[in-house]
Amino acid sequence: MHMGPLTVFAVNPDGVKFETQESEEKVILFLRQHLIVFVPAVLILTLLLMAPPILFPLLLSALGNLPIQLPAGYALVGGIFWYLATFGFALVSFLRWFFNIYIVTNERVVDIDFKFLLYKEFSEAKLSKIQDLTYTSGGIIAAFFNYGDVKVETAGEVPNIEFGAVPRPDKVVQTISELMEESKK
Amino acid sequence: MTATELSLLFLKTFTIIGFTVYAIFAAVIVRQEQLMANVLEESFEPVLRTLVIIHLLVALGLLVLAFILL
Repeated sequence: MHMGPLTVFAVNPDGVKFETQESEEKVILFLRQHLIVFVPAVLILTLLLMAPPILFPLLLSALGNLPIQLPAGYALVGGIFWYLATFGFALVSFLRWFFNIYIVTNERVVDIDFKFLLYKEFSEAKLSKIQDLTYTSGGIIAAFFNYGDVKVETAGEVPNIEFGAVPRPDKVVQTISELMEESKK
Repeated sequence: MTATELSLLFLKTFTIIGFTVYAIFAAVIVRQEQLMANVLEESFEPVLRTLVIIHLLVALGLLVLAFILL
């Protein structure tokens, strides 16, 4: 399956390789959070983009009553900084989503998280260690867009893995169950 | 030094410190992107790398501009 920058659900994806992947290990399922998780960031971004034409004139008129006159350079660098910070916000939001990945291979389940700053979290569970699989999809929006959380419970001291807000959670659970059955044979 | 000059000096210092902190943040994003790219190989990653580098360059350019203009 071909991968694009906004791919959230891919079965047998092309060109995906991850750290610690073994030579004979095959990626079966590649998941990211559903695109619906972008809604709050898009709303904030819209407000940030719309603010300068509305907020800046109000701010300047308020500053006009101050005893000091601001040099024109402040308006220029302030304006550039506003849009740069807005772009930075969009970039970080996208990076956090893009590198927050869930992978199911023929040997294990992997959860890779992008945690700010300079911190990554890599969790994995061998298929043979998985004890229980559950998924929850609560609420009108989750039901409408068909996304939910998948919880992978493991045996012993291996930490549990949770796939948050992934599309088609029923299909994810079904795929992992089938792979577990195959690995037992 | 008059009160106005002192206020503008304070404002300029504050602005430049703020832009410096932002440029450091932009550099951290570049490093973070490199770290994550080592974890996952993906075809779209070079585009992201270009974007984070552009973001850092503009942040540094803005810092220089602030030194010149303010």
